[in-house]
Amino acid sequence: MGKIFRYECRRLLWNKFFAGLLLVLLFYGWQVLTGVTILGVSHTAPFSPWSFGDYLSRMVPLLWIGSLFFLTFFTSGKARRAAVLTDAAPMEPRRYALARCAAALAGAALLALACLAEAAVFYGWYFDWYGWEELALPALAALVPPLLFALGSGWLLGWLRPWLVYVWMLVPFALPALPLPEALGLWDGSFFTAYPLTLGALDPAFSLPGGAAAAQGALLLAGAGLLALRPVGSGTGRRTGGEEIAREK
Amino acid sequence: MKTLRLFPLELGRLLRSRLTWLVVLLTVLSPAAGLILYKPAYADTMLSMYLANPALAGGVAGGILFALLTIFELDRARRSRTDMLTDAAVSPHAMALVRLLALLTAAVLATGLAMLVWLPISMGLIGAVFTGVDYVLAYLLFMGLALPLAILAAGAAYQFTQRTDLSAVLLAAFAGLSLTVWADDWQLCWLNPCVWAMSDDFTNFRLFRTVAWMRLTWLGILAGVWGVSYLCIRRYGKGLLGSLGRSVRRVWRPAIALALLVCSGTAYAAQPFYDNSNPDLTAMTLYELDYAEGVTFLDRTVQVFPDTEAGAVEGRAVYRFQNTSGKEWTACFGVDPGYDLTASVGGEAVPAVRTGYEESNMALWEIALPADGEVELTLEYGGFPKDWNLSSTVQGDPEISGIYLCLENQRLFPYLLNVLPGDEDYPTTVEVTLPGAMLAIPFGTSEAEVVAEHRDGTRTWRYASNSTGGILYAGDYVRQDIQAGGMTIEFYYGRKHQAVMEAAGAADAVRAVVDYCTEHYGALSFGTGDTLKLIQSRVAGGGYAVDGASLLNEEDFTTANLDDTGKGAIPGEVFIHELVHQWWGLGNMFDTADETSPWSSEGLTVYTTYRIVKELYGEDYAQKYYVDQWRQEVDDYFLNFYVRRPEYLEKLPEAERLNIAGSLSGVRHYSEMPLKILKAEQLVGGEAAMDQILHDLFNREVDPAYPYLTYQDFLDACHLTEEELDLG
Repeated sequence: MGKIFRYECRRLLWNKFFAGLLLVLLFYGWQVLTGVTILGVSHTAPFSPWSFGDYLSRMVPLLWIGSLFFLTFFTSGKARRAAVLTDAAPMEPRRYALARCAAALAGAALLALACLAEAAVFYGWYFDWYGWEELALPALAALVPPLLFALGSGWLLGWLRPWLVYVWMLVPFALPALPLPEALGLWDGSFFTAYPLTLGALDPAFSLPGGAAAAQGALLLAGAGLLALRPVGSGTGRRTGGEEIAREK
Repeated sequence: MKTLRLFPLELGRLLRSRLTWLVVLLTVLSPAAGLILYKPAYADTMLSMYLANPALAGGVAGGILFALLTIFELDRARRSRTDMLTDAAVSPHAMALVRLLALLTAAVLATGLAMLVWLPISMGLIGAVFTGVDYVLAYLLFMGLALPLAILAAGAAYQFTQRTDLSAVLLAAFAGLSLTVWADDWQLCWLNPCVWAMSDDFTNFRLFRTVAWMRLTWLGILAGVWGVSYLCIRRYGKGLLGSLGRSVRRVWRPAIALALLVCSGTAYAAQPFYDNSNPDLTAMTLYELDYAEGVTFLDRTVQVFPDTEAGAVEGRAVYRFQNTSGKEWTACFGVDPGYDLTASVGGEAVPAVRTGYEESNMALWEIALPADGEVELTLEYGGFPKDWNLSSTVQGDPEISGIYLCLENQRLFPYLLNVLPGDEDYPTTVEVTLPGAMLAIPFGTSEAEVVAEHRDGTRTWRYASNSTGGILYAGDYVRQDIQAGGMTIEFYYGRKHQAVMEAAGAADAVRAVVDYCTEHYGALSFGTGDTLKLIQSRVAGGGYAVDGASLLNEEDFTTANLDDTGKGAIPGEVFIHELVHQWWGLGNMFDTADETSPWSSEGLTVYTTYRIVKELYGEDYAQKYYVDQWRQEVDDYFLNFYVRRPEYLEKLPEAERLNIAGSLSGVRHYSEMPLKILKAEQLVGGEAAMDQILHDLFNREVDPAYPYLTYQDFLDACHLTEEELDLG
C-alpha cells in the first residue's frame, strides 16, 4: 500500500503539470498579496486572519482546479484503459483507490502549503510579522473543506463521466455570480470581508458564526463522505474503457 | 503555399464542429450579460449602460470561450491519438499556423455575428444618442479584439506545455488576474479594458485610442509569445528544448517572435497616454521653485492649433519678460508630458532642457535665457497630450475631436513656474483655430470672438485672459442664458443633449441653485462680474470651478437620471457642487490646502451642496446620500489599518506607501470637514444660525494682506473651539 502511495505520488507530483501549476499558483498568489492583501480587508491588518482568509479565498479557485486536474490522472480515458492492468494486480481495488485518494490529497495539500508559505514570506518580508499561529484557523476553514469536497465530488463525477470533472472546475467561478446566503459566504469569498464588519470591534479575532461553521462542516463531511464512499475502481459500477477495449478485441 | 491550401480545409472542418457553433452562439449571446450581471462601466450615460457594458461582457465571455475552444482544438489530434499520422502528413508547424488562422477566422465570424445581432437591440436601447461610429468601435475594440488575444494566449499555453490541464490552469490564472488584481491597471487588464464611461453627447475617441493601444500591445506580446511557443512545437519525438533547438535553425522564425516581443514591450513602456508624475500627491516641487531674481512677466501671446483628427495639439507661445538683474537666468515651464518643445530668443534657438521630473501632469522644462533687459521668448510646442497617471482608471481625457475638446493649463500653453507677475499680472492673448462647427468657450470670465475664417472651414477665435494658466472648452455647444441671483448665467451644453436638458428642466434647476446661494449667503463677488458660465463637460469623474465659470458634468442630466423619480426635480449634483464653489472656494478665498488639516474650500462647498439637496430632494435623501456617506467614509478612514498604525505604512516600499497614502487622501476634505460643519450647525443652534454665520463670513471685510478664510475664522464666527468639533 505504501509503495503504491509513493508510486502514485510520484506520478502526480513529479511531472511538468505539478511544476507548472505550482509556478502559476505562486505567481498568481504574489500578485494577490502585493495588489490586494497588502491593503488589508475590513479595516484589519494585511496579516490579520481576515485579510489572510481573503487571500486564501482568492486562491481557492486555482487550488480547486489543480486538485480536480489531479483526479483526471485517475479518471481520464487513458487511466481507465490502464485499469485493465491494475485491476489484474494482486491488490484489493478498495486499497488501491485509497492510495490514489491519499496521493491526490497529498498533492492538494502541497499546493495549499505553497500558498501558505508564500504568504508567510510576504508577511515576513513586508511587515516583519511572524505570528503565523493566528492564521491556522482561517487557513483550515478556508482551505480544507473546499479542497476535500473538490476531491470527493470530483472523484465521483469523474467515475460517472470523465468530462464532468472539467465542468466541475468552473464551479468556484460561478459561485460569486450567485446570490448565496450569508452562511455560504466562505464559498464565494465574501465572508472574510463582510463578517468582521458585523462584529462591531476593531481588529476582531477570527471566529466563525454558526451558519458558516455548519456550512463548512457540511462541506467537509460531504467531501470526506464522498471520498470514503468513493467508487473503488474501474472493475465495478458502470462499463469501463478497459471493457470497451476488451470487447472490441 | 501549403498553409494557404490547408486553411480552407481546416476552417471547413472547424465550422462543421458543433462545439465551434456552440462557442460562436454563446459568444453572440454573451453581451446580454453586460445588461444584467457584468457592469464594469458604472456611469449613467446611455452608451455606458447599453453599449460599453454589453461589449465588455461579450469580450470577457467570448475570450474565455474561444480560449477553451482553442485548447480543445489543438489537443484534438493528440487526444484521438492521430498526432503521429497528422504530423507525418503535414508539418506540425504548418498545422499550428493553419489552426490558428482558422480559429481567428471563427472569432471574426463570431464578432461579426454579434455586431449584427446586437445592432438593432443597441439602437433601440440607446435611442437618440446612438451613433454607428461608437457602436462599431466599441464592439471591435471592447469585444472583438479580446477573442484573438485569448486564442493566442491559449494556443501559446498549449504549444508550450502540450497538455490541456496545464494550459487550462495557465489560462484561468491569466484571465483571473485580468479580471481581479489587474482590473485597475489599464495596461495589464488584457481581457477587460478599464472602461468606466462613454459619452453620449460628445466623442469617445481618446477612450477608443487608449483601449486600442492596450489591445494592440497585448496582441503584439501574445503574438510574440505564440511565436516562441511555435518554436517549441514538438517534432521528431523530441522534447521542448530539442524541438526549440531544431526550430530556431530557420532564423526568421525566432527573429519574428523576438521582434514582436521587443516592439510590443516598447509599446508597453512608451505608451503615450499617461505620464510619469510623482506618485506622491503631496509633492509641490514645481510650485515651490525659487522665483527668478529681478525678472518679471510682461505679457504672453499664444496661438493654438488643435489637430482634431489626430487628437493632438500644436502651438506657439511668445513670452515677454523684464530682467532687471543684469544676469543670465533660467525660465522653468510645466509642459504637458506628451508635448515636445523648442525655444528661441529673437529668432535664435536656445536650448530647452526637459529635466525628466514630472509632477501634477506637468513635465519640468528649463530654458537658459540671456541677461538682456527685455527678453522675448518664443516656444513652439505640441504633441499628443498625456493625462495624469492617477486618472488611468477613468480613461477618456483629454478628448480632442471635431465635436469637443478641453485644453487645461499646461495642455493649452506652457505653464510658467518661476517668474513673478508684473504690474498687470499675467496679460495673455490666446488665439485658437478650430473647425467651423465648434464654439470656443474660455473657462473663466473671458469671452472669445471669431477673428478670422479660413478657406478650409476653420475659424480662429481670440480671447484675452489674465491668469497663470487657463482652460479652454470648445465643441458643438448650445448656449442658453438664464437670469438668476441678479446675474446672467451662460449655460452651455452639447447639441445632442438639448432634448434631455429641456426634459429635465435644467435651466430651472440651475436657477434654483443660484437663487438658494444668493438668498442664503449673498450675491456673488470676487470680481466675477455680472455673468457666470456653466459649461457641460464630457462625462468626467467630477468637476471644477474658477472665477466666473463652473462645470456641469454630462452625468448630471442623463436619460437614466430623468427616469429616477426618487431624485426629485434636479437629477444631477456635480453641477450643484461646482456652482456652490462660486461662493465658497474661489477668488483666493482659501489658502493652499494643508494636508494635515481637513479645512479647505471643499468642506463648506460639500456642506452647502448637502443643504441644497436637502431642500430640493428632502431630508431622507440628503441623510442617506450625504451625511451617512460622510460618516461611512470618515469611519473607514480612521479605522483604516494604515491610518491607525502608520508605522506599518513606513515599512512598505515607497511605491506601495504612496499608492496607499494617495488612496486615502481626500476623505478629510470631502467628508470629515462637512461632518464638522454639520456638528457646528447643531452646536450654534441650527440651520438658520449657521446660515447667518456663513452669510457673515461670505460678506466679511477681507484683509488684502491675507484674504483667506481660515479655519480659525470659521471657529471664531461660531464661537467654538477645534476640540468641540472633534468627531470622536
